[in-house]
Amino acid sequence: MKKVIITVIGPDRPGIIAGVSGVLFTHQCNIENITQTILQSEFAGICLVSMPPDLDNGVLRSAMDRELAGFNLQITIKDLDDDRQDHDKVPTEPFIVSTRGPDKQGIVSVISKAIADACVNISNLKAVFQGGENPDRNIMIFEIDIPVSVDFQNFSEELRRRASDIGLDLNIQHKNIFDAVNRI
Amino acid sequence: MLNEREFISTLDMLKYEHLDVRAVTLGINLADCSSHDLDVFKSNIRKKMTTLARDLVTVCNRVGHKYGIEVVNKRISISPIAVVAAAFSAEQMVDIARTLDDIAREVNVDFIGGFSALVEKGIANGDKALIQAIPEALATTQRLCSSVNVASTRAGINMDAVLLMAEAIKKAADLTRDSDGLACAKLCVFCNIPEDVPFMAGAYLGTGEADAVINVGVSGPGVVKKAIDRALEGENRPDLGRIAEIIKRTACKVTRVGELIGREVAENLGIPFGVVDLSLAPTPTVGDSVGEIFQSMGLLSIGVPGSTAALAMLNDAVKKGGAFASSYVGGLSGAFIPVSEDLNIEEATRKGYLNIEKLEALTSVCSVGLDMVAIPGNTSVDTLAGIIADEMAVGMINSKTTATRIIPVPGKKEGEKAHFGGLLGHASIIGVKNADGVNHFIRHGGRIPAPIHSLKN
Repeated sequence: MKKVIITVIGPDRPGIIAGVSGVLFTHQCNIENITQTILQSEFAGICLVSMPPDLDNGVLRSAMDRELAGFNLQITIKDLDDDRQDHDKVPTEPFIVSTRGPDKQGIVSVISKAIADACVNISNLKAVFQGGENPDRNIMIFEIDIPVSVDFQNFSEELRRRASDIGLDLNIQHKNIFDAVNRI
Repeated sequence: MLNEREFISTLDMLKYEHLDVRAVTLGINLADCSSHDLDVFKSNIRKKMTTLARDLVTVCNRVGHKYGIEVVNKRISISPIAVVAAAFSAEQMVDIARTLDDIAREVNVDFIGGFSALVEKGIANGDKALIQAIPEALATTQRLCSSVNVASTRAGINMDAVLLMAEAIKKAADLTRDSDGLACAKLCVFCNIPEDVPFMAGAYLGTGEADAVINVGVSGPGVVKKAIDRALEGENRPDLGRIAEIIKRTACKVTRVGELIGREVAENLGIPFGVVDLSLAPTPTVGDSVGEIFQSMGLLSIGVPGSTAALAMLNDAVKKGGAFASSYVGGLSGAFIPVSEDLNIEEATRKGYLNIEKLEALTSVCSVGLDMVAIPGNTSVDTLAGIIADEMAVGMINSKTTATRIIPVPGKKEGEKAHFGGLLGHASIIGVKNADGVNHFIRHGGRIPAPIHSLKN
């Protein structure tokens, strides 16, 4: 079996997941993992699929295009690079970075750049921008994995400094405190 | 995966509702430091305490930084000095007190608790020397706290000890008259003292405890108040059962934070973790008040009729939430009502809603007792002993911990203000009946027998 990553993006409506998974089923493919989200009216889904070695990606793609014609979706299928996964694995600790502050252009870019500069990966990002000056209506929550080799003190100070430059209040905390409070 | 609401509510607790780890307290057993030679004893305790506590402050700060929650106070509790230094005289006890103060400075902890004696049933030589030494010991040190257990449900009330403590409190107040009797703010008289309290001034390490142990005190009156406020705004007329449920759930969350921090500090120091003490311990800051919770629950002020019922519900819900969150909940775990340390409670005494009699009634259902209560400087030893005896009786009969931390403010009268500074806050001096009178009941001495445990009604 080989593994592929399938992404599906387009206007949300009933039947997208059913259509995609139906095509996969009829081609003896197995969905190993899947996640989806909806932003306003736009659907985005990504799934990890194992498929028979003799099945061509192009054949699968054509079948999906036929099945989902009229849905106005962008579908991509690419082979999964298994080697890269193992290569990238370094021991990390999960932290949560949260910011509050007035909504303006560039704030995701500034904070994510500061995170990337320290070679720290963002595993999840949630932003609630309701606009305006009320900081409590404009919140970003980054889940990040900090390699144990990164100096936490320096990293957190640098993040705070860059956040403060653009008027954001930034907190960084180990994820365990959120789990401890919210999970029994 | 946690949802957005869970993230934001946790962030709010930490950032805006004053949730903090109030104290990480390292308990150290000093029994193996005993010696008949004072210099040897002092050298032994210095060596053991500085070795075990060397990294306490650094580790607490590092762990606090990692979780984005401040460990406000780092403290040490020790075996009762009256036991481990029983061979020494009162003067030598004062010398030991100064050494402990010096050690506190060396390892940079806020307080050391355990200049203590347990005398509920009788007074041994070491206990006598320690009680005699208390006034000077507390007046000449900054970071030392003292507690004396004079009563228990099993032993009764040692009225001789009550009188001795009243004398010690008067003397300690006089020796620190320039600072409104500040020494008394570091002195607690207890009934049923727990062996694992991380909070001052009552912290000491019981004789049944490990050689060294980390106990954690978490606070969070602001978090509880905000949770009640939110429920009252967002829900359709929640009844008291629902409000108790909200308090319980909030206490559970707060306790989980304490255990997380405590266990990590303990692991980093290579010392076993003891207990989490979830106590709603206020500070003189708006939004960090136990008194404000009463107002959120619908009372005009703490002290008005209904307050005892409200406090009973609050204290019980806090204990239930804490007990569910951790298998190792200990110490006092409940709601404190320290007058000078809580802006709202202090205001209630100033406005006349709360007097010493109502405070005493409240202590029958709160987690400790008459705490940080400033009374007129002319209060006699007899009357002081009477107040202590009453408070001990509440604890003895109800099988609960009670304590007094009373300050007879030298040279000041009812209605005047006493200033203690920092977390200790300030207080309006409240009136006491028969303040400067004699009390023949107290002067009988002896021991009030332990209460019967059947025929309860």
